[in-house]
Amino acid sequence: METALPQRLIQLSLQSLKNVQNNNIQLNQQTIQQGIHATQFLQPIPLKPKQEPTIVAAVDTSSIKIGETSTGILIAIRGANIWKQNRSYRYIRLGPFILHITEENKKEVYNTLQNALNPSSENHQNPPNIQQMPTRLASLLERWLQKMLSKTLNNSLILFDGSLTSGTPDTPTKTMKEILETARKRENTVLAFSKMTNLRLNGHIITEILPNHKPPYMIEAVGLRAKPPIVLFGDIYIAKLSKANYAFRLDIDKETPIAQRIEAVERLLGNDLLAQGYPETLRLAHILCTFTANEVIAMQHFITRKCGVKIINRPDMHRLLFGVFGKGEGNP
Amino acid sequence: MKLYKKEGNIVQILSFPNENVEKGDYLLIEDADAGKALIAQVIDVQFANIPGILEELLRGLPDGGELIQGEDFDPLEIAPHITYIQDASLLICKIRATAENENLSPSSSWLPSRSQSTIRKLPIPMLLKLARVDGKLPIQLGATKDASPLTIDASALDGKLNIITGKKETGKSHLSKLLISSLVGYKATVIVFDLNGEYLSLGMTADGKRNAYYDKIHVLTPSQNFRISLKQLNLHVLLDILIHALHLPGTSAREFRRIWQSLKERDMLNMHELGEAIRNWHCNQHVKDALFSRYYALVNSGFFTDNVAEATLLEECLLKAKEQGGAIIINLRNTSMIDRQIVVEYLLGKLVELLTSWKLKAVFLFAEEAHLYLRETYWDDIVTRMRHFGIFTTFITNQPDTIRENIYRQADNIFLFNFTNEHDLEVVSRAARVDAETVKSIAKDLPPHHCLVLGKVVKDFPMVVKVKALDVKTMGETRLFFTDTN
Repeated sequence: METALPQRLIQLSLQSLKNVQNNNIQLNQQTIQQGIHATQFLQPIPLKPKQEPTIVAAVDTSSIKIGETSTGILIAIRGANIWKQNRSYRYIRLGPFILHITEENKKEVYNTLQNALNPSSENHQNPPNIQQMPTRLASLLERWLQKMLSKTLNNSLILFDGSLTSGTPDTPTKTMKEILETARKRENTVLAFSKMTNLRLNGHIITEILPNHKPPYMIEAVGLRAKPPIVLFGDIYIAKLSKANYAFRLDIDKETPIAQRIEAVERLLGNDLLAQGYPETLRLAHILCTFTANEVIAMQHFITRKCGVKIINRPDMHRLLFGVFGKGEGNP
Repeated sequence: MKLYKKEGNIVQILSFPNENVEKGDYLLIEDADAGKALIAQVIDVQFANIPGILEELLRGLPDGGELIQGEDFDPLEIAPHITYIQDASLLICKIRATAENENLSPSSSWLPSRSQSTIRKLPIPMLLKLARVDGKLPIQLGATKDASPLTIDASALDGKLNIITGKKETGKSHLSKLLISSLVGYKATVIVFDLNGEYLSLGMTADGKRNAYYDKIHVLTPSQNFRISLKQLNLHVLLDILIHALHLPGTSAREFRRIWQSLKERDMLNMHELGEAIRNWHCNQHVKDALFSRYYALVNSGFFTDNVAEATLLEECLLKAKEQGGAIIINLRNTSMIDRQIVVEYLLGKLVELLTSWKLKAVFLFAEEAHLYLRETYWDDIVTRMRHFGIFTTFITNQPDTIRENIYRQADNIFLFNFTNEHDLEVVSRAARVDAETVKSIAKDLPPHHCLVLGKVVKDFPMVVKVKALDVKTMGETRLFFTDTN
């Protein structure tokens, strides 16, 4: 019997596991993005909360697939702007918007929303495949909400969920540039927090190799090179803003002077709650737009009532063919 | 409503806010293909376990416990659908019967279709019709929650053992009065052991006028208008009084029997001669002392008289009641415990005597807080032997644990008012005619004057009824300190 391949697999397995010893492992491991690597960290910048009253605003959006039809999918998207002013939070929530996306209408839907976001632009992107449409449409809504905040606020802090990386299908360079310019003109500072990052320094995720320093502080990661078409509109920091054992990637607009960047983070510390080192405003924005299971049922109920759609359970082929050995399509 | 789950004889039904179903309601789960329907009663209403509900509730309170202020632009108006789902409830229902071709059977062994069954509220009149809760001697108890009248048949109380129980001031006596007056209306003979004088004005309207039953209500107050002579007594009845109420030892009882025989032979059965006979009897001094102390207890009760003419009222009343129906209220208010026991021992003995000799056909006995005057051995006697003689008892109590468990097991009908105490409900739930879950769940939430009727009167379909108002003068009110002196 030919055993070369199994033996190689065992060897590779044992070899790779040697490198893991004494390391932390993360369940639901993220895919390693090869695009951006930092070369070094600068010295930690100690931060001191600044109590100067400042509006802290945040944006987040959410999308969910609520069902499939014979011609496409039913999706819902929702977005929320939330701001903290005079010690209380207020919000504006848009949606849920329920859409039926098919191969026939996806281009129209996508272009219409792109037009709404950037009326002057003619170079619209092609729509993604149907399965990617929910996240792509949510991104369009998110950019629009970000644009609205940057246009309406003055001398405030605007928190984005994610990074200031653009050039991806989700984040066209032109849109991100416009948003940041508008914010800057109105003396707003944009701070983008990433809950997860793939950025690595010497092969390690940058948020996990921090120096032993008393929080709150932030460290700039330098030597970043992004492969085209990816553009970095922000300088990247690792921010550890509370005693909790969590650090986050923080992108700050490159065009913002260094002193203003530090002051912005210090004003954030003085004006928002930072439980576990993550801004409460941003956390609330996320909570407000995320769909709960009950809401999904309610939307299905709405569709059933309003559109006369009948919800059926498509036979699960895994279960059908493999019985108890089938994991089901939801858990391949 | 949608059928969600069935386990044993419990079905769980998903209900939506506009369907407005409450505890105690009956539902009809119809399976058209099977040609059958389940009749189930809602015994509990819970929130449906909606996925994501906790997240939603928490989402509403993120700002230090205060509601976060904001605006929702909800162009498709999904929010009402969310609320609709959030407020969905789960009805826990007990299967009571299967209806097939308008016939009811207690079976719950079949399973209706979950997807095809239709579920709707079963109006009480329709249920009563299906269950054939009707008869020639209707007693209207009151109205059910859907305002339809609940009428039972008096014959469902005939030959039966009944219990009326509930905590204080929930309406037990009110229901008793309703049953008594209805039975009297059907020419039944009713005897009431009235501990607090609550039934004395059963023949009067609320404003003090005579009502239709005035001539049929006979109030007998021991030692006042209710007295007995020794000549009317059988020896065994008096011995029961001496042994059970006055705790006369066996040796002394034997001597008493001899004294009694001696007096009877000489036709000298009266209290005066009895005292003299004990005084002159040749026996052990301790026995004599024991007999004397009991003799004086009898004398001091004032219940015994040597004037035979004074001692005829009970029989007169009973015979009158036999002819045209009537209630004999034995007023035990202001009567000491021992005197109460003497009166009750005598009365029960007398009733058995009259029933055995067919001078009476049958009597309905209403006994309030019977543990205060009924001796231990009488409980079994009442539900077995006396029932065969024709004494059909209704126990009324606010302390259900004072009634023995075997009484609950043999009770034919239970009229259950509100109880909040778990222990009390636990006791009542031992009744054979109903399941513990129904008792515990429904009785806890009964408002005052609402009663859960269980047993044969409702053909074992437990029903909640608001007992109808009665135009009877209220008696037995608690004396209060803080009363308006103006």
